[in-house]
Amino acid sequence: MHNILVLLRKEWRESLRNKMVLFGALFLPAFMVGAALFMIVQGQGVDIPGAQAALFNTALMYFLVLPAVIPLAIAVYSIVGEKEQQSLEPLLATPVTDLELFLGKALASVIPALVITWASFGLFLGLSIPFAGGVPPHVLTIPWLAAIFGLTPLLSLTSVGITMIVSSRASDARAAYQFSSFAILPPIVPLIIYSTRKALVSVALVGVEGGVLIVAAVAVLAIAVRLFRREQILTRWK
Amino acid sequence: MIRSEGLTRRFGAVTAVDGLDLVVERGEVFGFLGPNGAGKTTTVRMLAALIAPTAGGAHIGELQLGRDNRAIRRRVGVLTEAPGLYRRLSARDNLLLFARLHAVSDPSSRVERYLRLFDLWDRRDDLVGTLSKGMRQKLALARALVHDPDVLFLDEPTAGLDPEASRRVRELVESLRSKERTIFLCTHNLDEADRLCDRVELFKARIVALGKPAELKERMYGRRTVIHFGDRPQGLERALDLPFILDTEWADDALVVGLSDPERENPILVRRLVELGAEVRYVNELRVSLEDLYLDLMEEHDA
Ligand SMILES: Nc1ncnc2c1ncn2[C@@H]1O[C@H](COP(=O)(O)OP(=O)(O)OP(=O)(O)O)[C@@H](O)[C@H]1O
Ligand SMILES: [Mg+2]
Repeated sequence: MHNILVLLRKEWRESLRNKMVLFGALFLPAFMVGAALFMIVQGQGVDIPGAQAALFNTALMYFLVLPAVIPLAIAVYSIVGEKEQQSLEPLLATPVTDLELFLGKALASVIPALVITWASFGLFLGLSIPFAGGVPPHVLTIPWLAAIFGLTPLLSLTSVGITMIVSSRASDARAAYQFSSFAILPPIVPLIIYSTRKALVSVALVGVEGGVLIVAAVAVLAIAVRLFRREQILTRWK
Repeated sequence: MIRSEGLTRRFGAVTAVDGLDLVVERGEVFGFLGPNGAGKTTTVRMLAALIAPTAGGAHIGELQLGRDNRAIRRRVGVLTEAPGLYRRLSARDNLLLFARLHAVSDPSSRVERYLRLFDLWDRRDDLVGTLSKGMRQKLALARALVHDPDVLFLDEPTAGLDPEASRRVRELVESLRSKERTIFLCTHNLDEADRLCDRVELFKARIVALGKPAELKERMYGRRTVIHFGDRPQGLERALDLPFILDTEWADDALVVGLSDPERENPILVRRLVELGAEVRYVNELRVSLEDLYLDLMEEHDA
């Protein structure tokens, strides 16, 4: 535990000094808050119930895209950066275990992803009051809250897992970015389903997505852990 | 302190290290020399419990490779081939990270001590990306030492250092030796190995030669006396009929004489030369560099 905290501190200190990471982690949330507000302001006047629901749902969906996208920037630079600096070998020469190293890297992106997602969601709810008189209670239902608070950790874990696998194989940040970007598929696919169904989110839907995500997260993290063995890192990673 | 038996590492078809048997005593500075691709870095990685051997094994003190890897990593310090520092962190933060991972009791003061030791205290808050190559190398060395390891693996410690900094590193190695630390030194700087190492091993996937530098040179070249003359005397070698002379050769205007016991034989030799009418200007011992020895032994090994 001590080592994980030490590693987290180092990861965050490095990320804060990396403009690319800061941009990736802060620009998109700000943009999403703005876009979501715009959606509900637009939705106010619409009195066809289906269309309004679709707009409101899309707005809320943005907050499920964030936990999948924010870890990308952080994890890509945290792993490709170590490779470029050849800094993994000295790190691996310390008593840190492979799992500690893995968890340090994974949590370094999952924790900020969740904090930023929830903070932007709070900001959105707060700003929606002056802009649109708040999000109507029949939109912001239990399934939505379950999605925003229950699905986000799973989404960011899946995303981190995918990014870690891709980054361990990629030799530069740009390639890693490109290949990891399909980590945003898990929140995008339901987005399409919801917005075409023109209906409000249900507990069943959130439950099914949660189940799928648990399987996905466990699978990608299991693969990622295997790639994060000292021997692998030192002899196979390029 | 370091003991390996049949240590072997293969990468696919390449055998990087082939059955290395090694004994390095506590408090010894052991030079590990060999050409590029000889397997030095691979050996260090195995001994520091970073990668696993394909065959064979090793002990660091009483700790067994494979079984006690974590304890081994706690006990050893490694200066890796590439400095591998975090460029976006300050010099101090780089060291603090490693002091904390090694659970050093008072990280801040320990880090300060090493930053001062390497003249980096004034630059402590500068990002590593802004330091010069030599400063980074010193910082990497400080990082390898920050937890006070018993055994230190140094993979080319003075590469890229200016003469003064190299000297500082040599002094540091000397002082660590006097504290009974064991040092495993890989280097291409043969002069440094000659001055610093108690024993050296010439290595190229397998052992080529092993011993004290002076002994190795003597074993290879014998002991030789060089005599410089005022003007090169004619036919001198033939007139030199002393029974203890092993061989003679001319190097420019100097005569190089192979002897087995020069302390006893030199006075007799010089007296005889003077009797023969030679004008002796200087007499000294032939100094063979470790470089000459290395090049000759490697050539012999490859043939
Ligand atoms: N991860 C790896 N994958 C494949 N081959 C490797 C790997 N690491 C080392 N080798 C091979 O093992 C051999 C020994 O390499 P090593 O780096 O140990 O040499 P070295 O003595 O440290 O050389 P140098 O003086 O250039 O640093 C080389 O042929 C190298 O190509
Ligand atoms: Mg090497």
